[in-house]
Amino acid sequence: MSVPVGHYQYDRIDRDFLQARIAEFEGQVKRRLDGTLSEDEFKPLRLMNGLYLQLHAYMLRVAIPYGILDSRQLRKLGQIARRYDRDYGHFTTRQNIQFNWIRLEDTPDILRELAEVDMHAIQTSGNCIRNVTADEYAGAAADELVDPRVHAEILRQWSTLHPEFTFLPRKFKIAISGSPNDRVAARFHDIGILARPGEDGAPVFRIFVGGGLGRTPVIGEELFDSVREEHLLATLEAILRVYNAHGRRDNIYKARIKILVQAIGVEAYREAVEAELGQMDLEQYRLTPEAVEAIRARFAVPLLEAPDDADAVLTQQRRDDPLFDRWVRSNTHVHRDPGHIIATISLKPAGGIPGDATSAQIERLADLADAYSFGEIRITHLQNVVLGHVRKDRLRDLWLGLSEVGLAEANIGLIGDIVACPGLDYCALANARSIPIAQKLGARFADTALQAEIGALRINISGCINACGHHHAGHIGLLGVDKRGEEFFQLTVGGRAENGAAIGTILGAALPEDETVDAIARVVDCYLGRRESGETFLDTLTRLGHEPFREAAYEAV
Amino acid sequence: MKRPVRLEAGQKLVLTANRLLDGRTVWWSAEGTWVPHIGHALLLDAEEAQVQLAHATEQAQHDGVVGVYDTAVQDSVPPEPVTVREKIRAHGPTVHPEFAVETAQ
Amino acid sequence: MKLFELGERTAQVHNVLVTVAELADRDDVRAVLLESADDPALLRPYLNRLDLVVLRFPIFRDGRGFTQARELREYLRFSGEIRAEGHILPDQAAFLRRCGVDSVVLPKNGNGDPGLWEKQLRQFPMAYQRSVLPERGIGPGLRVEEAP
Repeated sequence: MSVPVGHYQYDRIDRDFLQARIAEFEGQVKRRLDGTLSEDEFKPLRLMNGLYLQLHAYMLRVAIPYGILDSRQLRKLGQIARRYDRDYGHFTTRQNIQFNWIRLEDTPDILRELAEVDMHAIQTSGNCIRNVTADEYAGAAADELVDPRVHAEILRQWSTLHPEFTFLPRKFKIAISGSPNDRVAARFHDIGILARPGEDGAPVFRIFVGGGLGRTPVIGEELFDSVREEHLLATLEAILRVYNAHGRRDNIYKARIKILVQAIGVEAYREAVEAELGQMDLEQYRLTPEAVEAIRARFAVPLLEAPDDADAVLTQQRRDDPLFDRWVRSNTHVHRDPGHIIATISLKPAGGIPGDATSAQIERLADLADAYSFGEIRITHLQNVVLGHVRKDRLRDLWLGLSEVGLAEANIGLIGDIVACPGLDYCALANARSIPIAQKLGARFADTALQAEIGALRINISGCINACGHHHAGHIGLLGVDKRGEEFFQLTVGGRAENGAAIGTILGAALPEDETVDAIARVVDCYLGRRESGETFLDTLTRLGHEPFREAAYEAV
Repeated sequence: MKRPVRLEAGQKLVLTANRLLDGRTVWWSAEGTWVPHIGHALLLDAEEAQVQLAHATEQAQHDGVVGVYDTAVQDSVPPEPVTVREKIRAHGPTVHPEFAVETAQ
Repeated sequence: MKLFELGERTAQVHNVLVTVAELADRDDVRAVLLESADDPALLRPYLNRLDLVVLRFPIFRDGRGFTQARELREYLRFSGEIRAEGHILPDQAAFLRRCGVDSVVLPKNGNGDPGLWEKQLRQFPMAYQRSVLPERGIGPGLRVEEAP
């Protein structure tokens, strides 16, 4: 087949590697069943193949490296949902997809089906380097300085079955972006990498370390401002080596790198990393221009050709159709090519389950990607789907196609674009359900005109302190807590993951589930009533402080 | 890590686990087998539960189950778990009524 | 105690194995036991007389031993034998070997089946990152295979 646009093209060697991994896992399953491997021993091994045991079944989290798929891969995911699951999949906040109704005994077969399209579930869980995430507009956005995907692929390869870093104190998440506008929440990752062009043409990397959400939210600190490309892997090895040797292993809640960075301070951490680099044979770890080019050569570049009047056609269509215009306003982003546009497809229908897609929708998305965006699909960390390279004069046709399968919701970046983890409906770790409250909020603010009126407002919901719904980073965040077997929600305001990353402030005591939606509606009303011209929710919050919002939230309690 | 069990009036304990092969939620029955419907679960007093739990945990590998523990239920027909978490395990995800587990008798 | 050799080096048997703290007082000792919290750099003054460093894994999930082994090989240039013992799994065989471990004390349960260890060593024909072993690149990317 032809080289896919947007992600690395496997060859026989990469495919043999996947087959070896599946054979290994099949052997591990067999040893688990015959009792040679205990559950305590098997669990980390299955997690490193993406397999969790949840409340009702196993859950398989399939890797979507740097969030990019081709249409053939997406169709396979639809088939797997239909054949091995219950006809749907759930896109996650780390650009992956998970299936909720998997059987252990089917898993090797599923992994074999995934391998047919060069996919896997390697290191989507476990205390290892997880699937690397990247900017959802990579290679397309007008504001981008460096396309981060080649280096994201380099990091994927380097971290795959790394001999030294497969049994870390805790999970380890890396995100990379090449835009001055942070769309990867770089400072909420164990390592966040921002690429920019260097003087010699090769990129240089700004590296943040020790960010994260979870029980102890921390904003990552800058470790290095300008790491040269040739030293990228050496630097990451050194950072990981310090963490592997000194990260806490006595307490799972204090085992992330952020705790170590906080404990010794970023200066001491930097010194320790520099001490490692001083002892390493840097030549051995050097990322050569040849290696980078070899990997870059496996990526196809879309041939961006559009008629001269593409922009004019779109402008006219927007004038003619206010509904379409509203969708374009909320769901598109400026492309580097004037004849193209980036379209974000919302997986947040009003009252629906954030991030869920049925097999039929998944397959339809694959068709639309083939028709409108070089067969390339991106999954965002906000649980939506992006078609990166849509010709402006064909955007309306795409929108009409999306409408047919209920995927034309005009709410990206608005209050209906809710991020939520699976919560207690599925997850063995959760304390409260995230989905029902997301559905109620979605229904409450279903009117897209109202959503547009409210403007930029992000709600994030987590069903427990592990914060998979990134509630600390939500403009409004909800954390589900368990009070004697009942569900309550703690509200935070003012979090943000973009530039100027901030952790939300807790408004007060957790509210019973049935009072939470009303409280949020009052917080939104408070903003609408007190905002000044042009102010977003965050602007008004910054100007007024959180006290008026706290009063609004607890008014009726 | 076993918490002392404090049962309120009208409550009993049941044993639960997940099946190793397919991960399905199962309940310990009067026949000494693991069954998918809580309606067939054996209701136990606190002391009985200790004994049965130790036995079932020891037999987990043989019985093909993972993560055996006890949980409180209302002593009704069928028994109804006390916590939201166990209600969801017993009946299925609340957001997909079509996947509900029947509470068969 | 059953030993399994991960590479070419023949595993040695030592009757006396001491802790790092005991090394200073025992000129005669050729083998040391490193706990996972011990800093391998403490061995620097003794490396010339040591034949064997044993890394103890308290539990297979504690990956500090991998970094210790690499440090011994890469920073301290230790050329003697490195052995892993304790709670280790055959699934870790290639990781151990690629970090510089020569031999393991086979666990006494089902995880100690030498056939499993043998199989795991050959499970993956290539790797995506360099290790302390002699390796050659497969083409110009990151991939390597072991040099014959």
